[in-house]
Amino acid sequence: MKKPFFVSLILVSITAAAQPKIGELSPEITLKDAKGNPVSLSSLKGKVVLIDFWASWCGPCRKANKRLVSIYPSLRDKGFEIYSISIDDDVSEWKRAVAADKINWLQVNENGGWNAPVSSQWKIEQIPTSYLLDKQGKIIARDLEGRQLEKRINDLLKK
Amino acid sequence: MKKILILLLIVVAAMGANAQFTKASIQASGLTCAMCSRAIDNALKELPFVATVQPDIKNSAFTIVFKQGQEADIDELKKAVEDAGFFVARFTITGVFNNTEVKNDEYVDISGKEYHFLNIKDQVLNGEKRLTIVDKNFLTQAAYKKYSAATGMQCIKTGKAGACCEKAGLASGTRIYHVTI
Repeated sequence: MKKPFFVSLILVSITAAAQPKIGELSPEITLKDAKGNPVSLSSLKGKVVLIDFWASWCGPCRKANKRLVSIYPSLRDKGFEIYSISIDDDVSEWKRAVAADKINWLQVNENGGWNAPVSSQWKIEQIPTSYLLDKQGKIIARDLEGRQLEKRINDLLKK
Repeated sequence: MKKILILLLIVVAAMGANAQFTKASIQASGLTCAMCSRAIDNALKELPFVATVQPDIKNSAFTIVFKQGQEADIDELKKAVEDAGFFVARFTITGVFNNTEVKNDEYVDISGKEYHFLNIKDQVLNGEKRLTIVDKNFLTQAAYKKYSAATGMQCIKTGKAGACCEKAGLASGTRIYHVTI
């Protein structure tokens, strides 16, 4: 009986140690888009990336989407991308919200809500939660909004 | 003693109406978006009688479905919301009723718990019905004031039976849920 206990302890400590922090390189994330194709965060290397956790039922997230929609096109042309992770359990609700909010950036879904693997690893306590990564994939800031977000993205794009 | 107790239980059960409460809808409020918090979602899901918790963006509420055959604890649901750092702004429970007679400003036993109905027309409940809890801290202050004015009885303030209920056979201090339809 001793062995299984030991094994589970190792697993717990690895998960805890892997929580991403500002200043560190972001761990790899691979989740599926609306068509079921896996999309990896690492495929965006060389771009400034905003990782955005949200859900269709989250009012503040939907408002944040609207703001992102307005700044995204011009920033995308300069090398910026958004990697949106929806924690919707109901995939059809997620797709409906993406269409309603006119989102045309990368969208993936992690079924299972708060306790699904990626949300757990990033210790997401509330949504929206977002992380800004530089071109090398290093985590620069968390939960930036509005003008501040735009300014930091532009600064990172120049580097 | 055992025999008497069993007999008493049967009598009580026969007197009270039966209804199975199947789900609740809780609107929580606070400084931040309540549905957007992991803490409140986890706190609700951890309750042993809760089967699923689904956010409902149209009503800014959680729909909570109870496990079949399990008795839901209304006070535990409220406590879970409050322990996660939020307030309850609206709380409804849905149950399937079978010939339950309810009268305005009177309490009725439903599956072993006391429910005091306020602001209703006397009626017989059948089929699926939704009740709104109007006890203090289960709704906004303004709404609570309106419902508490609908009865002269003290129990609306405490949620518990006063000494006056003892004549009717209800022990002082028994939890009474105040509800409307």
